Amino acid sequence: MMELEIELKKASDSLKAWDTTSISLTAGCDLFMRYVTRTSALEYEEFNSAKSRLIERAEKFGEISQKARRIIAMLSQDFIFDGCTILVHGFSRVVLEVLKTAVQNKKVFRVFCTEGRPDRSGLRLANELAKLDVPVKILIDSAVAYTMDEVDMVLVGADGVVESGGIINLMGTYQIALVAHSMNKPVYVAAESYKFARLYPLDQKDMAPALRPIDFGVPIPSKVEVETSARDYTPPQYLTLLFTDLGVLTPSVVSDELIQLYL
Amino acid sequence: MAVTSLAPRIGVRHGGWPLKLAPQVANEVAMARAGLSYNRKDHKSISIPGPFQTLAIPILSRSSTDRPSPDGGADSDDGSAADPHAAIKPKVRQVGFVPRNAPPEPPARSQSYPAEASSPPLSDSPAGNSLSPVMIPPPRHLSDNLAAYRTPAVPVPETARRRAGHSPVVGSYDPAESLLGTSSPAPSPPSSGRLIGDGEFSDESWLLRRSNSAKFASSFPGGGFDLTAVKAVSAADLASDANVKKTTEKSKGSALEVKNEAIPSSKPLKAKTTKSERRALQESQRAAKVAGRVEGNKSTAAASGRVTSAKAAKQPTQKKDVASAAPSVAASEKKGSDRAPEKDKKKDAPAPRMQFDDKSRVEKAKRRAVVNQTEARNRVELFRHLPQYEQGTQLPDLESKFFLHEPMHPAIYKVGLQYLAGDISGGNARCIAMVQAFQEAIKDYVTPTEKNLNRDLTAKISSYVSFFTECRPLSISMGNAIRFIKNRIAKLPLSLSESDAKTLLCSDIDRFINEKIIVADQVIVRHATTKIRDGDVLLTYGASCIVEMILLYAHEIGKQFRVVVIDSRPKLEGQSLLRRLIAKGLSCTYTHINAVSYIMHEVTGVFLGASSVLSNGTVYSRVGTASVAMVANAFRVPVIICCEAYKFHERVQLDSICFNELGDPDAVLKVPGRMDVNYLSNLQNRENLQLLNLMYDATPSEYVSMIVTDYGMIPPTSVPVIVREYRREQLLI
Repeated sequence: MMELEIELKKASDSLKAWDTTSISLTAGCDLFMRYVTRTSALEYEEFNSAKSRLIERAEKFGEISQKARRIIAMLSQDFIFDGCTILVHGFSRVVLEVLKTAVQNKKVFRVFCTEGRPDRSGLRLANELAKLDVPVKILIDSAVAYTMDEVDMVLVGADGVVESGGIINLMGTYQIALVAHSMNKPVYVAAESYKFARLYPLDQKDMAPALRPIDFGVPIPSKVEVETSARDYTPPQYLTLLFTDLGVLTPSVVSDELIQLYL
Repeated sequence: MAVTSLAPRIGVRHGGWPLKLAPQVANEVAMARAGLSYNRKDHKSISIPGPFQTLAIPILSRSSTDRPSPDGGADSDDGSAADPHAAIKPKVRQVGFVPRNAPPEPPARSQSYPAEASSPPLSDSPAGNSLSPVMIPPPRHLSDNLAAYRTPAVPVPETARRRAGHSPVVGSYDPAESLLGTSSPAPSPPSSGRLIGDGEFSDESWLLRRSNSAKFASSFPGGGFDLTAVKAVSAADLASDANVKKTTEKSKGSALEVKNEAIPSSKPLKAKTTKSERRALQESQRAAKVAGRVEGNKSTAAASGRVTSAKAAKQPTQKKDVASAAPSVAASEKKGSDRAPEKDKKKDAPAPRMQFDDKSRVEKAKRRAVVNQTEARNRVELFRHLPQYEQGTQLPDLESKFFLHEPMHPAIYKVGLQYLAGDISGGNARCIAMVQAFQEAIKDYVTPTEKNLNRDLTAKISSYVSFFTECRPLSISMGNAIRFIKNRIAKLPLSLSESDAKTLLCSDIDRFINEKIIVADQVIVRHATTKIRDGDVLLTYGASCIVEMILLYAHEIGKQFRVVVIDSRPKLEGQSLLRRLIAKGLSCTYTHINAVSYIMHEVTGVFLGASSVLSNGTVYSRVGTASVAMVANAFRVPVIICCEAYKFHERVQLDSICFNELGDPDAVLKVPGRMDVNYLSNLQNRENLQLLNLMYDATPSEYVSMIVTDYGMIPPTSVPVIVREYRREQLLI
């Protein structure tokens, strides 16, 4: 039994090592380990039954994660009303699922998509939405404050949800959340519960760096530094609600859930 | 579990904050509502405090024939109509308790009340009108019961005190005590006879009941305080076998509750009394008389009894109906006057909640106190509810009594003196010293014959605790440790032999210190040092042992940072921390708190310790912490609080006034080592100069970025979750 746990741990570690910057991967692995090993199955005398119980829980975990997006989409339908304007940042499959479900429910709304430099994720999302016949408008990242007046809500995904209730997401999310907060627009985050991580950044630099080279199209002199960080941290006071598969939560609940799970 | 629950919780849930009101708050709210429109169905059980019991008996016996249950004001009026002394029918429903008679002069009371048992009860009735409102004489046919309640000496100022309407002081003189010192089979509190109808008095008598219980905690540490006197009496009579005791207890418990519930007109709250309860009541009365007398030496156990020993009354050992009645009683009384010092009565108050506003009550308390403290003069009005004594007067006196003080174990005495002298300070140090002293006391403890180890030991611990409180008010960490110890004592299996029990207890205490303090500190250090980066400038305030550990450990593992130590008068605790940091080679800056806004722009992180963290995220810590946190917040510097989980408390505090500790005011006047700074040297006794030396303050949660505990790093909103988990864990231990 202990051997099996050690094996699991090794597998999890190697997975995490594959991409050290991915918070959701780390968080997912950790939660999986907790979920699977934190069961009375480990006290079963008989190895096979214990093993089958572990497999059962593992499959359940997978199911939950897959179903998570559908649950989130269902929960967030109440927040999308007819005629609303949604500002979206970055390409998140959860957010896409939410918008798809809204379209299926015959809701009329339009979407503002930020470009999402440097990886142009906003353009990808705009493509997908255009296929759904949703009115989409693309903004450059700097145009967010300009258009914030017309926006009814901001909807983003998350790479990771940290213990304070804040989120780590594509660079630019913090900026958008600040602008939205100062203009009293709600900021909603759609994230699965396996992204809850045991991190607690105090500021922007308090995280593991994730760098991504930026292509400006013109050569930059070598003396000039470029800020290449791909993520930023949005503190919980700028977030209104989190749509998760555990329900619609306020940011302070994240810590509760983590405490209960890890205690 | 977060991941196991598949069913999504639709609807927003605000985590971290308890969704439901805590039971006693909910009760209070219910009571408050009930006071306005009483609906008996709202309450599970209403119990009227002890004083009303005996008067309820005659009423009960009358009303039992009249009607099955009093209901609302109307019925009680009718029910009391038969009672010759229930003259007043309140036309207005009043919150709290209303005096039934016009208040007479105290001298009349002092004459009538201390009447000996031999005095005919009849004489009481005519004297009834001359008695104070609290001294409603018992009806005649219950004279035999009540005659037994006469005590030889009753403090006269009690009436005045009560009429003044101040909050009752639990530690004050309790006539029940001396009553039980004399021969009296009466199970019910003796003061009951005079206590009908006076709302404020009921508060107090109920509290006297509690102090009573504390004194008799040796027999019955658990259950509601209404029951304690009863239990004490029955327990005192150890000759009677356990069964009789138990049944007496139980019946008395329900009886008391019934009696409480049956109080007529004066109380707006009523409860149903069933026939069986009334019969149980009468049987208990008879059984109590049969039970015999209480030994006189019970009252000596009260020598060190004060309010905090009422903690014994809160023991979970015995779940009685009255125990549930206790919060409702408290709630009802609080409704009338919010001065009740036992806001935490259901949870053990970590520090004395005796309100020191009332002089006479304080005097009573002083008479009971082991440590003779003289009250300081010139106290700030806003803080009159906190104890303030003149420092430096008691130490030589106590030292001389060291070998004379028999009931106190020498280890306890020693630690108490150390508290008094200020030799031990800091939440962890005080807590460890206290529990180690308890360990010594437990090791030397011998169960007296015919007594139960659980109860007697708990009573002893309670008496030690009150001694500590007199030396210096308890810190919250100490309060939680005491609760833990009492919990362990209560959970001792009865079959265990004495030496086994003692070893088990000592090992439990060792485990507590190890797990909750020592190992917890190591975990905190590990978590917190991950937040320290090279090039940081860390600010700290005062001398927190855990912050010191963090800084030293981070330095050890090679992080490059420098420290700013903020200090403040009069304690200047930062200097000792500074000395130790410099000795280890850290680069430090030192300044006083008046320069904190000047230095804050250089700072990258603030590490603060805490005496406790309360349920709304408020940090209760050394005075000055709130200012530092506020300035840090203004400069957007993260504030990290480091606190072990055992110091968390479910209390909520919104300001630094309602609960605090007052230090020596003279320390503010003088500057040690500077004879030339003597501008205030002769002004101690000036009328228009009031000195205030606060020890603690409350930092609001919005200034706190993160709390590092042995459960990990949590946001301030998650403190109630930790408190809940911690309590649950304690139950499982």
